[in-house]
This record gives sequence, C-alpha cells and structure tokens, in this order.
Amino acid sequence: MTPAKFEPGDRVRVRADEQPGHVRTPGYVRGKTGRIERFLGAFKNPESLAYGGSGLPEKPLYKVGFRQTDLWDGYAGRAQDALYVDLYEHWLEPARKETL
Amino acid sequence: MTGVHDLGGSPGAGPIDKSQHETEDWERLADAVTVALDKRGIKTTDEHRRAIESLDPERYRKLGYYERWIAATELLLVEKGILTREEIDQKAAKLEERWG
Repeated sequence: MTPAKFEPGDRVRVRADEQPGHVRTPGYVRGKTGRIERFLGAFKNPESLAYGGSGLPEKPLYKVGFRQTDLWDGYAGRAQDALYVDLYEHWLEPARKETL
Repeated sequence: MTGVHDLGGSPGAGPIDKSQHETEDWERLADAVTVALDKRGIKTTDEHRRAIESLDPERYRKLGYYERWIAATELLLVEKGILTREEIDQKAAKLEERWG
C-alpha cells in the first residue's frame, strides 16, 4: 500500500461520483467536506472483494468527521454536532483549509 | 442516484422503526449458514453485501433483514456454481410439502 496521504485535521472532500457497483461510501456524504479524524489502517478494497476479487492493493481507511449542519438541510440539532464515517482514501480529495 | 440500500437522508423516508421481535429459529439458521460459508472461504461479507444491494428494489423493500440474507446467499451459491436454482426450488418445494 502507498503511505497514507492525509493526516488528522486535514480537510477533505468526498468524491461526488455515482460509481456503479458495491461501494462503502454512503450517498449522503458524497460531495461533502469533512475533516480527517484519524487513520484507521489499510484494508482490502471492498469494491473488489464484493465481486470475488483479491481486494489488493489494500486501501488506506480514515475516520472522517462531518458537521451535521453540512450534511442535512435544516438540521435542528446543536451546531457542533458531528457525524463520523469510515471512508477509503480513493474517495477523498484535499479540500481548502478552514476552521471546522 | 445511489442504490435502494443507501437510504440515509432520503427525503420522505420517515422515522426509523425501532421495534424489536424475538429472534426466530429460521433467522438463527440464516445467520449460521452465512457465517459458515464465510468461514469456509466460499464467500465474503463484501460479496454478501453486494448481493443484497443487487436485489430488485421492490423486492429489497419487501424483504426483512434475514430474508435479504437468504436471498443473497441463494444468489451467491448459484453464481458460484455450488447449487443450481432448480436444486434450490426442488428442495424448497419438498420442504413445503412436508410442513404444509
């Protein structure tokens, strides 16, 4: 596996692609910007395993935090509420730095 | 457009039904068969998820949790050439006859 591209605190944007087939990236975070919480390790790629593939090379996985207000229109909870999703690196691209 | 399984944030999806029921024997069996096939290296969790996600959307909505598991297991066993659709249908017909 290639070394992890992102570090905790990095702002990342989730690819907005509508990739066909089995993916572990939920629709509601696609195109959204969040922050790397931590690196979780490298794992076999489920997008390949799902079709009987080897899942190699292993893909870096991160816990990514999103502001609930960024995910849901008219979110009624507290402004600081967050939602964490485990996302593979190939679904993430660097986003502009700003205060989360 | 994400798949029928990717429900998070769907407008009009309504509240989550959190009601519980006693686990039934057939549900335990569905779980056991799936885990046994995984442990034997016949299929993976990712293939199982992919098979569930590939169900016809209308059928997906109609089936319960473990009914989807059974449908996925059936699909994968046929796909891998371990059982044929006819063998499964014949066995099901026989059991139905015995149990009425």
